Amino acid sequence: MKKQASDIGARAGVDRRSVLKGMGGLGLAAAGAGIFGMPKGASAAESLNYMCWEGYNAPSILDPFQKQKDVSISVDLITDSAGGFAKLAAGASKDFDLVSSDSPWIARMGPAGICRYIDDKDFAEQYAEFYPQFRAPFTPLQFEGKATGLPTRWGWVGPTVNTKFDKLETWSSYAPVFDAAYKDKICLLDWGDWPIMPLALYAGVDPYVSLDQAALDEVRKVLRAAFKNTRAIVADLAIAQKGLIDGSFRALIGGGTYATSSLRMKGHDYIQSIVPEPKNGLKQGIIWMEATGLIANGRDSKVAADFLKYIVSPEVAKQLSITEATCNLVPNAKAEALFSDAEKKALQMDYMWTAWDNSHFHTVAPNIDDMLAIWQEELAAR
Amino acid sequence: MRTDSKRWGDPVLVATVAPLGIVMLLFFIIPLVMTVVLSFQTTQFYRLSWTWDLKIWTEVFSKPHYWTIMARTVAMALVCVVVCVLIAFPAAYALATRLRAYNAQIQILIIFAFLTDAVLKTFGWILVLDKSGVANWLLAHLGLGPEALNLLFTPTGTIIGMVYGLVVYPMFTIYLSLARIDRDLVLAAYDSGASRLRAFFEVTLPLARPGLYCGAVLVFVLSLGAFLEPKVLGGGTAPLASELIRQSFETRVNWPLGAALTLVLIVIGALSLALAAAVLMRGNRGRAVQ
Repeated sequence: MKKQASDIGARAGVDRRSVLKGMGGLGLAAAGAGIFGMPKGASAAESLNYMCWEGYNAPSILDPFQKQKDVSISVDLITDSAGGFAKLAAGASKDFDLVSSDSPWIARMGPAGICRYIDDKDFAEQYAEFYPQFRAPFTPLQFEGKATGLPTRWGWVGPTVNTKFDKLETWSSYAPVFDAAYKDKICLLDWGDWPIMPLALYAGVDPYVSLDQAALDEVRKVLRAAFKNTRAIVADLAIAQKGLIDGSFRALIGGGTYATSSLRMKGHDYIQSIVPEPKNGLKQGIIWMEATGLIANGRDSKVAADFLKYIVSPEVAKQLSITEATCNLVPNAKAEALFSDAEKKALQMDYMWTAWDNSHFHTVAPNIDDMLAIWQEELAAR
Repeated sequence: MRTDSKRWGDPVLVATVAPLGIVMLLFFIIPLVMTVVLSFQTTQFYRLSWTWDLKIWTEVFSKPHYWTIMARTVAMALVCVVVCVLIAFPAAYALATRLRAYNAQIQILIIFAFLTDAVLKTFGWILVLDKSGVANWLLAHLGLGPEALNLLFTPTGTIIGMVYGLVVYPMFTIYLSLARIDRDLVLAAYDSGASRLRAFFEVTLPLARPGLYCGAVLVFVLSLGAFLEPKVLGGGTAPLASELIRQSFETRVNWPLGAALTLVLIVIGALSLALAAAVLMRGNRGRAVQ
């Protein structure tokens, strides 16, 4: 559910490349149709329609596969995971072959009939290259023993801190979010449920289990207290990053490595995302993951399955890891050898398993709608 | 004067009205009906469920926070109208009376600013209003100290962005009204002994009212849908109706709730306009009697 409106330009749901190609091949009218579900390349033997987050659509990733398989790939960019799910659930699934989105939503697509389950045996070679934590049977993507898609990118959600202004130890807990000394210095990232979950964990509530009214009241209290100290609730990554660099925001909450790595890659290695220490036995970090699934559109395209293998292969995973907009970890262990030391440092690879050990895995919380309603109510009352 | 009354069966009349009628039907009436229908459904596991019940409307009317946000939206729209008119009127007056020689050039400049992408303009304001931005840099050089202004991520920041984006509407509507005023009427007021101020308030301002009202209505209606400014310049801490609707549709994937809130906003807008029209008509009738 992250990255809402993080790139307003992407709201149009069409990238420059697809427009230019479409216009060249089929004319302006065909380009308009190509935005949603229409094959755009007249010359390719086959076509794939791909719904994905920004980064998966990089020409350096898509072009080699298109050439190798003589396939044309049309892309529809997601701006919100839940919105992408709703679009597919509303009937658009018949127009798509592949989807790359947040793992909780991919996991839901199998049981919902939007994605077809994969046979782990068919992807044994790919799983063998993954870090042990991501190998089959990979529980977060499983439903009744069947897997929906493969993991593609991951990271963690914790405080993102500018160490020029604050020591990392200060953020070994979310306590500064509520500290008067940090009033108007905190930025919450308006990325759906992402900022809610860490604050709930700080309040001693595990948001990933079914919650009673008392627990929801605790979530309300902690959000109310956080809003009092918060300067801004920002959806745009660039604004949040700018504030963090110039010190007007001392910490970003609800973004984690997704908000950090691209800055570190550009040399701002004093910006770090960490995971707070467990509090009263409750882990305070969150592991987020993106996955890619095969859509159940009745065509059972082999090329789509080939693309799934391709997107998790070491070389492609490395490219998927470092994109223009964001930089993230990938589950492919073999890909690690392809990163330079600077890239590993930017991705905080030396810290990734510490973060993993102190985190919950992000799934769709049973009471997420209640918590989002509380978020709305407390913002309105602010 | 003789007036011809046309019958609806008149082919010329049908041919004239049909294109607009079809556009309105396809892009306004049908979507509006679909929105109404949607508001009576529910969602289950993020999928639309065709239930035909009042669950969503019960929620809308039982949760005060929806109305807090709606009230805030109307209040912000009214503030925006007032500020826009206060800025636009003198500017339009100067354009119509004092700057006639540069009229075309100034209008072109205004139109260029108006046509610049709203996203670009809104994000541009961040560079101006930021604590380390242009405005504070200027104020610091004027000796007012560092970070004298703290407008970014505040409701004032939202208003600045909204006014900047919308002020051009009343500026042009008022200008058009002012430009049509017969100069002889003002001169006649002077000849009758009226001061400049009295001539303005008794001749110019009443004759400029249509443009003023038209501009105010445009600003009000567009302000109700303001989305970027509260999110970017307001810092999302005081959300307006459009953000509430977006969140319902996108983040909560509760399309019936989003549809219901959209209808609430449409009704609020329509009622506000009806109320304003009633007040104006009453005022006009009062003046006619005098």
